[in-house]
Amino acid sequence: MTVQLERHDTDILILGSGGAGLFAALHAQQAAPEGTKITLAVKGLIGKCGCTRMVQGGYNVALGGGDTVERHFMDTINGGKWLPDQDMAWRLVSTAVERIHELENEVGCFFDRNPDGTLHQKAFAGQTADRTVHKGDLTGIEIINRLMEQVLSRPIERMQEHRAIGLIPSKDGDGLAGVLMIDMRKGCFRFVRAKAVLMATGGGPTMYRYHTPSGDKTMDGLAMAMRAGLGLRDMEMVQFHPTGLLAGDNTRMTGTVLEEGLRGAGGILLNGDGRRFMFDYDDRGERATRDIVSRAIYDEMRKSNTTPQGGVHIAMSHLGPDNVSQKFPGMVKRCADCGFDLAGGKVEVVPTAHYFMGGVMVDVDTRTTMDGLYVAGEDAGGAHGANRLGGNGVANSTVFGGIAGDMMGWDVSGRSLREADETILAAEIDRAMHPLGKTGGNVHELRRKLQDVMWDDVGVIRTASGMNRALVALEDIDAELMDTGVSADNLAFNLTWHDWMNLRSLLDISKVITQAGLARENSRGAHFREDFSEVGDLNSSYFTLAQMHGSNLEVTRAPVAFTIVKPGQTILPDSEPDTLVAAE
Amino acid sequence: MPDGSPKPETEQRSLRVKVWRGSGGEGGYETFEVPRQPSQTILDVVTWIQQHSDPNLTYRFACRVGMCGSCAMMVNDEPRWTCRTHVDRVLKGDELRIAPLRNLPVIKDLVTDMDPFFDKWVSAEARHHPTADRHSDFAAITPDDPHRLEASSGIECINCAVCYAACDTVAGNPDYLGPAALQRAWTLFNDARDEDGDAILDAVSGTGGCHNCHSMGSCAHYCPNELNPMTAIAGLKRATARRFLTGRGKRKPS
Repeated sequence: MTVQLERHDTDILILGSGGAGLFAALHAQQAAPEGTKITLAVKGLIGKCGCTRMVQGGYNVALGGGDTVERHFMDTINGGKWLPDQDMAWRLVSTAVERIHELENEVGCFFDRNPDGTLHQKAFAGQTADRTVHKGDLTGIEIINRLMEQVLSRPIERMQEHRAIGLIPSKDGDGLAGVLMIDMRKGCFRFVRAKAVLMATGGGPTMYRYHTPSGDKTMDGLAMAMRAGLGLRDMEMVQFHPTGLLAGDNTRMTGTVLEEGLRGAGGILLNGDGRRFMFDYDDRGERATRDIVSRAIYDEMRKSNTTPQGGVHIAMSHLGPDNVSQKFPGMVKRCADCGFDLAGGKVEVVPTAHYFMGGVMVDVDTRTTMDGLYVAGEDAGGAHGANRLGGNGVANSTVFGGIAGDMMGWDVSGRSLREADETILAAEIDRAMHPLGKTGGNVHELRRKLQDVMWDDVGVIRTASGMNRALVALEDIDAELMDTGVSADNLAFNLTWHDWMNLRSLLDISKVITQAGLARENSRGAHFREDFSEVGDLNSSYFTLAQMHGSNLEVTRAPVAFTIVKPGQTILPDSEPDTLVAAE
Repeated sequence: MPDGSPKPETEQRSLRVKVWRGSGGEGGYETFEVPRQPSQTILDVVTWIQQHSDPNLTYRFACRVGMCGSCAMMVNDEPRWTCRTHVDRVLKGDELRIAPLRNLPVIKDLVTDMDPFFDKWVSAEARHHPTADRHSDFAAITPDDPHRLEASSGIECINCAVCYAACDTVAGNPDYLGPAALQRAWTLFNDARDEDGDAILDAVSGTGGCHNCHSMGSCAHYCPNELNPMTAIAGLKRATARRFLTGRGKRKPS
């Protein structure tokens, strides 16, 4: 069968409408010469899909009161276990100051205030200052609503429900020609050429049985980048949030986050026997950091000390149900809507895959090794290293999204559209059409199989034997997927076809995560090896680098360049205290 | 809409679910048998149908937790977030009826085209008009400032279009901007940092503007976030009337 291919040209093409994509659109418009055509393409609806909107906590930025950009930098490096690209981390923390002012003063966000009218800031785990700017616990909604309003009211071309499936290089191989997409509503292919393309599709580790990201997130961006031969770093680094809702296999509610603040406020975790177990693992009990609490829960699960659905309970009722309802109205209402009593009862929870620290190798200006391609947000690696601090995610997407917009706006001058490599374009179309018209197989069962493999063997606690077992299982799933068909009766808004492609992307990146996990023979941040449980020598820290060579994926180690500060040192003056956060 | 906690688990083994199917303005209901699960939302019901019964069923969702506003549909003729509506809460007998959101063009099956909704959002001047830039300090605004409290009252809107689907005035007058866009305009009008209150009042006082509202209150009744667009629209009506009488637009914060 053949499916229609439409062709379209623009000047600047942005993939994604989270914090990075929307900021890029605004900045590109400010920076580019008049008349430059800007196109925003997104897998769902503008401002609605993706994960920035789901940010609860807030936005890390040093705004004085004793806090400094240097302190924010050191917290980011320490939190990332000395793996971050230090120049990127510096760019993040230093530009965040301007970006938060832009968000308030130009974009229109209104963040919570102190009684005197100044911005309220709180301290998240792993921070040594009250640094997180927020709007209640719905910071992402405030940021995305405002950005969306600004973008929708400007002459920016919109391609909604357009899914990017392939980065198409130029015929002469000197850069990116454009992006192959599927117009999901019509069910046809659309090849969009552009002089500059930002990939900001968001990572989103939804290949795990329990996961938090939005349903549209399936690692499409990283899978495209890998096929295009770009280098991917830190691909073993999957951050788990300790308390995802556990409501059974048949509901999309399972895996969604119950907020961090519940534990901070005194919420306790109970295993299947009703025993509080966190103090067996850490002196801070439930207030230990995300990675430690996740591993402790996972360990209880391995020992089968579990609740009916196979997790543990979080209990808040000892704090007084009315008090809990008052302090966490959104969480209590969400649980009640779904049939759970968070304020007065117990709710089953499980660690859940939350954020992907790994991503495309970029420079501090979001440029990649492929001319014309820029990457920002969760698709880009380097800023967070082995672990992302709460509040550094939306700072990262908005900072680097804006930078990408500036760079593209400046770079398009004098650049012309490139002729596409039609052979690669045709191959990408074939790849997407592979399942059409075939019969047999079940893509949904296969996705569950993938999620089980990744959860069991490449999850919160990893070993070489588990990951090797996973590599074999992933190849089996791959073979099964290629034999799994999708009805071609109607391609318009055919979700099952897209589910097939979602699984294709997830499977490709799952293999990379597993290989990178095998390559890191120590335990840093989000990556914990039971067979290599030591952090390892910090001075000889390496990051993993995954890249396709021909049809082979190779994972190598590259030394971390300590361009600003070396392990054991600090850029804070000697007189500075370790922390500015008052003890509880 | 809030009606307490869900009722206890019923004995039913399966649900009879009527789902609207079609595109291009044509279509009708098809019935599916869906197994009953203990934790089951309306989104889970349509997901089950797509995954087990009809792979061609089209619906839209993203965040799964009531933050993105992508998955609203008509459930037994009432607009609801399907991700946060437990089956127990809406089940009548063993039947459910699920249809695309009212007052918007249907793309396919349960998916609507939300562009008209957002076009009206833009038409209502519902975006910040800055008075400062990235090089200026933050505006010192105290949390108890009355204008701020008024601005904040509707700020948690997630543009899910439930109110828009619930509104009979929208149904009767396709030009009407609708509750969500008008509420957003009121939020921005009350923002001391917004420069162009007059532009907002101009935008909301035209033919499709706030004066079309008959205060029937469906918007407030159905808003899943318990916001009250009707009060915001009443505020806009007063502000436009005051400007007409006094020639003065935006009140500057005292």
